[in-house]
Amino acid sequence: MSQRLRILLAILSLIAFCNAAVAGEAVDLFERHVRPLFVDRCQKCHGDAKQWASLRLDSLQGVLDGGDSGPAVVPGNAAVGELVTRLASPDDAVRMPPPEEGPPVSSDVLDAVRAWIAAGATWPVGEAPVATTKANARETHWAYQPIIAPALPLVADESWVRGPIDRFVLAALEAAGLRPAVEADRATFIRRATYDLLGLPPTADEIKAFESDASSQAYETLIDRLLASPRYGEHWGRHWLDAARYADTKGYTDVGETRWHVHAVPYRDWVIRAFNEDMPYDRFLRLQLAADQAAPHEPEHLAAMGFLTLGRRFLGNTPDIIDDRIDVVTRGMLGLTVACARCHDHKYDPIPTRDYYSLYGVFQNCVDRLVPLPRRSSAPPVKEDFAQGLADRQREYDALVTQKRGEANARLRKRFADYLLAQRDLATYPEQEFVQLSKEDDILPGIVRRFEVFLRHAERAGDPVFLPWIRYAALSDDEFPNLASEVTAGLRAGPQTVNPLVAAAFADPPVSMADVASCYAALMAASDARWAEAVSAAERDGLPEPTCLANVAEEEVRQAFSGEGSPCVIPDEPLVQTDYLWDFETRQALWKARAAIDAWLHAENPDAAPYAAILEDRRTLVDPLVFRGGRAAAKGDAVPRQFLEVLADSARQPFSRGSGRLELAEAIADPTNPLTPRVWVNRVWLHHFGAGLVTTPSDFGVRAAAPSHPELLDWLATRLRADGWRTKPLHREIMLSATYRQSSRSDADRAVSGHADTVDPSNRLLWRMNPRRLSFEQLRDTLLTASGDLDLATGGRGDGVFGTRRSVYVTVERQALPAVFGVFDVANPDLHSPQRPETTTALQALFALNHPFVADRARRAVMRHAAHPGAEAEIEGLYRGILGRSPSDSERQDAARFVAAALVEPAGEPPGETVLAPLEQLAQVLLLSNEFMFVD
Amino acid sequence: MAMPKQRPDRIGRREMIASAGAGLGFVAMAAALADAGDLTAMPPPADALAPRPPHFAPRVRRVIQFFLNGGPSHIDTFDPKPLLAKYAGQPLPFSIATERKTGGALASPFRFKRYGDSGLEVSELFERTAAHADSLAVIRSMRARLPNHEPSLMLMNCGDAVQPRPSVGSWVLYGLGTENRNLPGFVAMCPGGQPVKGPDNWQSGFLPGVLQGTYIDSKHERVEELIENIRSGHATAAMQRRQLDMLSRLNAAHRADRHDPRLEARLQSFELAYRMQMEATDAFDVSREPKHVREAYGETVHGRQTLVARRLLERGVRYVQLWHGQGQPWDHHSDIEKSIRQHAGELDGPLAALLTDLKRLGMFDDTLVVWGGEFGRTPVSEGGTGRDHNPYGFTVWLAGGGIRGGTVHGATDDFGFRAVDRPVEVHDLHATMLHLLGFDHERLTYRYAGRDFRLTDVHGRVIGDVLA
Repeated sequence: MSQRLRILLAILSLIAFCNAAVAGEAVDLFERHVRPLFVDRCQKCHGDAKQWASLRLDSLQGVLDGGDSGPAVVPGNAAVGELVTRLASPDDAVRMPPPEEGPPVSSDVLDAVRAWIAAGATWPVGEAPVATTKANARETHWAYQPIIAPALPLVADESWVRGPIDRFVLAALEAAGLRPAVEADRATFIRRATYDLLGLPPTADEIKAFESDASSQAYETLIDRLLASPRYGEHWGRHWLDAARYADTKGYTDVGETRWHVHAVPYRDWVIRAFNEDMPYDRFLRLQLAADQAAPHEPEHLAAMGFLTLGRRFLGNTPDIIDDRIDVVTRGMLGLTVACARCHDHKYDPIPTRDYYSLYGVFQNCVDRLVPLPRRSSAPPVKEDFAQGLADRQREYDALVTQKRGEANARLRKRFADYLLAQRDLATYPEQEFVQLSKEDDILPGIVRRFEVFLRHAERAGDPVFLPWIRYAALSDDEFPNLASEVTAGLRAGPQTVNPLVAAAFADPPVSMADVASCYAALMAASDARWAEAVSAAERDGLPEPTCLANVAEEEVRQAFSGEGSPCVIPDEPLVQTDYLWDFETRQALWKARAAIDAWLHAENPDAAPYAAILEDRRTLVDPLVFRGGRAAAKGDAVPRQFLEVLADSARQPFSRGSGRLELAEAIADPTNPLTPRVWVNRVWLHHFGAGLVTTPSDFGVRAAAPSHPELLDWLATRLRADGWRTKPLHREIMLSATYRQSSRSDADRAVSGHADTVDPSNRLLWRMNPRRLSFEQLRDTLLTASGDLDLATGGRGDGVFGTRRSVYVTVERQALPAVFGVFDVANPDLHSPQRPETTTALQALFALNHPFVADRARRAVMRHAAHPGAEAEIEGLYRGILGRSPSDSERQDAARFVAAALVEPAGEPPGETVLAPLEQLAQVLLLSNEFMFVD
Repeated sequence: MAMPKQRPDRIGRREMIASAGAGLGFVAMAAALADAGDLTAMPPPADALAPRPPHFAPRVRRVIQFFLNGGPSHIDTFDPKPLLAKYAGQPLPFSIATERKTGGALASPFRFKRYGDSGLEVSELFERTAAHADSLAVIRSMRARLPNHEPSLMLMNCGDAVQPRPSVGSWVLYGLGTENRNLPGFVAMCPGGQPVKGPDNWQSGFLPGVLQGTYIDSKHERVEELIENIRSGHATAAMQRRQLDMLSRLNAAHRADRHDPRLEARLQSFELAYRMQMEATDAFDVSREPKHVREAYGETVHGRQTLVARRLLERGVRYVQLWHGQGQPWDHHSDIEKSIRQHAGELDGPLAALLTDLKRLGMFDDTLVVWGGEFGRTPVSEGGTGRDHNPYGFTVWLAGGGIRGGTVHGATDDFGFRAVDRPVEVHDLHATMLHLLGFDHERLTYRYAGRDFRLTDVHGRVIGDVLA
């Protein structure tokens, strides 16, 4: 227990046991004088929003903790503590509030503050409980605590209980004096269940069959049938795609880069398959983060890593690309808002900026690579010339890269000394986000920065070739003339060894850094000459090209200037990684050649060859640095690559395998991780009930509202792990509960529902089912179902939004989202989407009334469902086909009157030959009805 | 038919009509915004008939922004730099990196004159707008961060150079709600196609999609080409009326034993849509304006676009953004003398006409007019006849309610390269715009991903000097 906590408890118990009258007086002082003082004069700068000098005056804890100057209050002793000192100081520079914030506090108030402190500084506990703070969050915040299987609560009405879930729900209802709603009828239930699992309506026949199923296992049979449908993965896959900010394109791109994410479709299909196969959720996560390492012998799973690589391109700016990845991983999988810590420590949760950059380091040490996936046997045949066409384009691209690398490397060597000097003056060279239309012969900022990073690592490693540079560079210009000879002597003395060739070059002290730089340039030239000689000697003697120089010192120098990782060599990495190292024109030429490959794979040969964009660990690793204030130019401390402090055990160790990506995946999917299973079961619950047990599905941090049923959440999480992290048993458990079976209506007994409406208007306690509105995807798929047009082909290339395939297969183009997406609240593909907003607007109604897609559905529904002649049969057919039920007598009459009136009334100015016939108008009305749009 | 003169009280009545059916729609809206940070700014659902009030009494209730995409040269328009003539062709005493290589100083070929009582200096390119010199507050010390279009467009429109964030218009709509549900609350018009970065410029980011700008290609003249789904190709108004009556009966029966406010809201949304078809048609039909008004704006694409904008503002649209054209017409890298004359020529007349018209209609005092681009241009030449991008110092001007007209705020250096006197960041401009609309920019927040986001992030201060 911390010192502070002990003091606090001591005070609290003191307050509890001290003379009631004294305590009462102190509370009175507090409420009448002290709290108003804090609220009116202090908390603007020392409160929730700002904590000047690290001081908060909005809780007892804050007052006791004090700020940079020490404790604000020491209970019982008004003579010490910064609060009184500051309030009473005659010195304008010391006194609080500062002069510009108004006059000093009056002596009456000051006296009251002193008396309040002397009386023990009572802060009424009920009013302002000791808040969870960043400092104690790890120990106190519910979401960070281990998941322990809770005991099942006792309930009064055992007869209602169908399973463990019901005990938790009913216990809470009983405690609030509420009772659950009646059970929904079977027609309602099958519609609800079918939408929940498949995103589609049941057919009229399915409804009838379920209604008349007399088996005691009717519900179980239904749920199992739905879970086995391939439509399930399409619907639940879409939920995950919201979390994964799925899109088929990169968003805005420049310099001729293709806009298509070639690997998007395989990722989407992988997600759908994973749900259909009920892949264990922990594996589902591991594969998306590190399939290359977690399943190295199952190349089909490489598609999973689209989760990381499907984001926007942010014009190639690395820090933003990595930020996007950190955000989608931490909010999507952990329910933690780690990206908040990019610029400063997280304001509320114990996530320091250092932890953000620890994760940054994981992704910084990975390269994006496009790799072919195994073709599925069901894939359509490939054009004959596909392989040849691909090889041609790849060859052209490779040749261009080789040529450009060669040219760039040659230029780089020529200007080696300039780059060495340039990297000492980093501020002159803009960061990656500042795009310059550079020319080949310019000093390129990306290369300058590469030199800087290289030398920083060389310094830490005590590199024998660059040690002299590092030592001389440590001298200021003023010191140089006087101290250079000392450095020279120091280098000779050791203890760190200098490569003998380099040492010889610096036998005499240099006169300036320019001199040092040209010495290195000469060393490089000599090394290049030696290598050229070795190569031609081998050729002369008919030997294979050498792989190294025989002399160890010479080879060491050669590696420094020409080896992998040398700053003088453009790395052989994919273009997305080397983007920043090229001059503008070369960059354009390279992207153009690259786009030809992507176009061949995507546009010209759909389905030919699925590709995955994976991450691969770099061979040479760099240590992440904190970017102060989130600015890449403001480099701060180096941090290790490691997991988040808030979730790691006390013996947190830096990641040790490559980038650490697999270790990150393992830590996230670890059964003891308190967040991962909670976050997932909450998402599943959300999609069954329309609201999560935790209402902020991607933020389980300190500021999240507590779960409505904390023990139920933990029970579900325990259950998930016990079921081998499988999601289908979870659906089953939920959907067979009495809680899920409840009616969404509650007015059978208005007195009861009225009471519930007052006690729990937002239905957090689940005294009924929440009615739900169809999402855009559900609406579109249901419209297509009603008209008999829904194409159930699975996987492969996407369809247009007004095509006929299921909505999950509609292509999502970031820069050209169909307007109807925004109108119907479809998830924004630029950002992880925790939960869709739900709006009701006239633009939605305009779409439903006027868009030809809807009118076509009405026409086709009539063709399909009103085939039997006769008004009676036609109306019956439309109701059954569209709403899944027969019309009531009065509805039948109303519909007949509508059709009759439409037949005789003049249509007004005809809008064209596409005008809807009367029955088609009726069909459209049914498609627009609330009964169609809402699920009870 | 002429549009009757519009007075503020008339808009009040329109709000009543427009919102009467939308009351319950707002409930759903409020539900969508339940994650909002500053719920205190929102009325309880029962009071949803009125648009949401801001934090304090606003000076303006709507915004029209002329976005000169590409980056208008301040040196040739509102920030005269005579010293450049002396240095013509010569290098400046200092050099600053921009996107491209630049050479010596390039003096403005355009004549500047003083206008109005204030003596505000404006170049001949905007001589008609200059007739309103005493109404303009010219900020000559704007600063952006990067010399590239994409991040600067994002910064100017959304307050962040890179991350997907809601646009200014979306924030305003989020804060104030809409005065007329029969029209989109935030409209972005651009003739002939979209600007660079397209819909990112008017995105709603993490705010609900309903708050994003509605893009309109103002090259078109027929309403069905302007607004999606505004006309039915398969039903007449009479047919739709019958359908809606049938729908209403069907929904009434469905609603009888359910209590879910969304059901009523959706029903009302259809009635609104039905009326919107008339209202929107009316709003976009400039032929209903008298001839002399049409002529004042000019019967050109920009004249028509500006006049449509005025008709939208009259009808309660909160935020109208007028882009100059597809791509980036104001990106004058070469032969600036000819091309800026052309583009300014297209804009000056409609702009001047709008200012006159707003004053005539009594709308000037509660409308904010914003003029500017994503950055300015360099005082040094690119290739001898053009100017490169300049984020280090440029001009934006404001006019309308709450603005101290005839003022100049801040200054660039003697050459017009860097803002040196009282620099104004883009966040400051945003803070000032929100202030005029009645918002404390630090309190207009939205809770997302664990943070209370603001348009101004952690920056921004209101530019007091430009306020009346």
